Amino acid sequence: MQWIFQFIFRHRAVSSLFLTVVLSLLMLSATAARQQQVARALMMTIFYPFQFTLSLTSNVRNSFSENKKLRKEVAALTNQLAQYRQEAAENARLRTMIEFSDSMPIDLLPARVVLREPAPNYRSIAINVGSKQGVKLSMPVMTYHGAVGKVMQVMPHFSLVQLFQDPSCRVSVMVERSRGVGIMGTDNGHDFSFKCRSHIEVAKGDRVVTSGLGGVYPRGLDIGGVTGVVEDANPLFKKVSVRPYADLDRLEEVFVVRIQPQWAAFPQEADSLELHE
Amino acid sequence: MTQVVLKWIGLFALCFVLQSTLVQAMKIVSVGPDLLMLALFFLGIAYGPLAGLYVGFFLGLSQDLYSPSILGLNALSNTVTGFFIGLFNERMMRTDPLLKAIILMMAFILHDSIFSIAQVLKTSGSFGHAGIDLLVRTIPRGMYSAALLGLYYIYDFYFKPSIRR
Repeated sequence: MQWIFQFIFRHRAVSSLFLTVVLSLLMLSATAARQQQVARALMMTIFYPFQFTLSLTSNVRNSFSENKKLRKEVAALTNQLAQYRQEAAENARLRTMIEFSDSMPIDLLPARVVLREPAPNYRSIAINVGSKQGVKLSMPVMTYHGAVGKVMQVMPHFSLVQLFQDPSCRVSVMVERSRGVGIMGTDNGHDFSFKCRSHIEVAKGDRVVTSGLGGVYPRGLDIGGVTGVVEDANPLFKKVSVRPYADLDRLEEVFVVRIQPQWAAFPQEADSLELHE
Repeated sequence: MTQVVLKWIGLFALCFVLQSTLVQAMKIVSVGPDLLMLALFFLGIAYGPLAGLYVGFFLGLSQDLYSPSILGLNALSNTVTGFFIGLFNERMMRTDPLLKAIILMMAFILHDSIFSIAQVLKTSGSFGHAGIDLLVRTIPRGMYSAALLGLYYIYDFYFKPSIRR
């Protein structure tokens, strides 16, 4: 008997090979149910630490892929949310515009700003209504905060609007409280002012509206509020600074006031008075 | 001795994890290296056939348990492969890297041949498909692993501080 052990020990490599190969073949030849039984027993005993480590790494790996997927979803949802917010804001603006439009006695044509002059202080905007919608040259353009400019060029489906920010744009205005008139303009696109007679009572906070004297804008459209009054070099006048109610830098929806210019009968004279003043 | 055993267990565990994670990203035209076979190769070369076959057996068994294959398939093929690699251990003979790469390729072919034969016999499959698999999968996989082995020997020869010439 001893010689058998001695033989095995002497040829232990080959014996081990034989043993393990036989074990493997036994496992291979077993039925599927038996194989599962053996596998379960091995998993529960010898391979538990490895199984634990592997499941841990697998969890980490899953977390990475899940994290990546969730990041994508968050990005998509953030975009969607931003879109919804934008739509909600637009909806609110449009509601305000509709209410404003209903309350105004004049014929207003809603329009969307589709283009802005590519400059930091843009002086003109393009809107998505034109002659096909009844827009004509020099029609006033306003928001529900007040007037912002006038149509300076008309195409079939688009129109170009000259804003008050354009230094060549002038508008005849009036202090609502004291009825003092003047011609408002700007030199730099930011600071708006007009000169009025020094005896006219003007104070900070007074409302400035269109006077209706220029022939383009109807009387009483809001323009802005008085922000300051200073004495002019000429003692007969004083300079009144105005801040427009409408945010001219953030125009998205506007109205075209569909009225015929009052000076249609004498355009050349009107041009010299208001358009090129 | 305990440290050496722990080191090898750690190495195999690491290879096991990397094989199921990193290697997926290292695949070129769906061919990736076999890190477990590389680890078995290093062990067999260092410690001989006895260590090679036992480690191969347990390694194969664990692969069988963690992959949806027939129990005993990997155990059988890894046992024989571990034994085969161990025959060329460095205690018996000194081999250069090129010869080692050839031994590794032969080990891959031997492993996959035993695996395929056993699988065909067990599942009554086709030997033709097994032969094609040997050509289109085993040899590229072996070459990829041999390339990694080459990189290791380049590192070992030129950059490892203890082998400075």
